Amino acid sequence: MTTVHVIGVGMTRFGKHPDRDAADLGAEALLEAIADSGIDPRAIEGAYCGHVFQGMVTGQRILAQVGMAGLPLSNVENACSSGATAIREASLAIRAGEHDVVAAIGTEHLTTRFTGALTPDPSDPEAAVGATMPAVYAMRARRYMEEFGMTREQLALVAVKNRRHAASNPLAHFRKEITVEEVLESRPIADPLNVFDCSPVTDGAAAAILVSDRMLKRLGNGRAVRLAASSLFTGSVDTEPTSMTFEPLTRKTAEAAYERAGIGPEDVGFAEVHDCFTIAEVLRVEGLGLFGQGEYPAAVERGEADIGGRLPINPSGGLLGKGHPLGGTGVAQVVELVRQLRGEAGERQIEGARVGLAHCRGGKAVGIEGAACTVQVLVR
Amino acid sequence: MTVTDQTSAPISFRPREFEVLADGTGRLLGSRCRGCGAPFFPVRAACSGCLGTDLETIRFSTTGTLYTFSVVRQSTPAFPVPYVLGYVDLPEGVRIMSQISGCEPDDVKIGMDLELAVEEFGTSPEGAPLLGYRFRPLAGRGDR
Ligand SMILES: [Zn+2]
Repeated sequence: MTTVHVIGVGMTRFGKHPDRDAADLGAEALLEAIADSGIDPRAIEGAYCGHVFQGMVTGQRILAQVGMAGLPLSNVENACSSGATAIREASLAIRAGEHDVVAAIGTEHLTTRFTGALTPDPSDPEAAVGATMPAVYAMRARRYMEEFGMTREQLALVAVKNRRHAASNPLAHFRKEITVEEVLESRPIADPLNVFDCSPVTDGAAAAILVSDRMLKRLGNGRAVRLAASSLFTGSVDTEPTSMTFEPLTRKTAEAAYERAGIGPEDVGFAEVHDCFTIAEVLRVEGLGLFGQGEYPAAVERGEADIGGRLPINPSGGLLGKGHPLGGTGVAQVVELVRQLRGEAGERQIEGARVGLAHCRGGKAVGIEGAACTVQVLVR
Repeated sequence: MTVTDQTSAPISFRPREFEVLADGTGRLLGSRCRGCGAPFFPVRAACSGCLGTDLETIRFSTTGTLYTFSVVRQSTPAFPVPYVLGYVDLPEGVRIMSQISGCEPDDVKIGMDLELAVEEFGTSPEGAPLLGYRFRPLAGRGDR
């Protein structure tokens, strides 16, 4: 079976784009990815488009915009893992031998679809009693503080770090550094989380061009990065209440990816993880096995997760700093991994980066730990 | 057209998950697997433990303990803020998300004992009052 390689990536600036829409942003990202790959667009055989709230056939609107309609295309929705799922579907189409060149696109014009707190689907019993995504993570944060003695300041440091990383990312939603005090004094959303503990409402899109071994050989693209694993799982149904301070779903998805890639967590040089909230980054890196349980807050305090630290987490600025256009997020993580692994990350370049991991986790449905979790491993 | 009192009698906001009994008390509804005993909220079609499909609908206990909580300060227009949202562990082995009422937010503590209360929970599209659930400090254990 062929392995899969990323030969080109593109992404729009993340932020508020009042004069644009999801298709327009997706087209910009796709054109950049095609140009970056150097491939003739006529060689692209299929496409997947991840988005959440953009309505019917958004992917087709993107292809129409760039003159490429006529391909098999599927729109995929997996909440905040939609873009990552598009990458996985593209990789499966190649691994299955159906296609040699596939485009994966993720896009969202979220500012026109949402203000304030994201909620589960209204049909869900938890939505019916007032669940919001910030509240769910706030409850997990409170429990984590109780169990592991994490301080409020330690939690704020996750936002401070990611905003600092975002300040050196020209495509990030936020370009200004913030302090712990500013996080603690920002507007309360769901105690103990304030607005600077939450990822912003962001518009943006990203795209990647994936190819098979034989196509890579034919193209001779020296900048390709290998997609060594792309795993996806939904959460199991609880048969008893389980800890909300650990993520078995993230662990299971990571283990599948590590096994496929033939690596362990100790081989990961840096990671983009789904920091939709400050506490989420803590839960994710521990679930991924990159840090021991209960140990991440102190590690952030020591600078271990900084660019230049022992294991940089979210060098792009993450969802907290770069922004979180739901469908765009998972593809944008892969864009960052590719740019880091090629040594093209500019000011935020991680020296000697060889193995990067991207993690997404999205959605809330009553009684299951998480709706959709993805882990991608990219190797140079 | 006039809506009479009979037709606008309070009804459950989510009849599949929450039942209001004749005596005015409420019960959360779920499933228990007759094969392996695993409990579920809400009602399920099959058991995730053994994948059996022989499940009975059960009424859960009306008391529980608070696993964690948050004071929600930004929400959708349907839910005026602030309100306390928590996860309540019931003796049957299920964890239920619920608002917590009947005490000040500052008095809410992880591990506190709670009981189910029937409270107004919005109105139907026809304007009839709907009944839902919140958990309150267990009588005699809370401050009031
Ligand atoms: Zn069973």
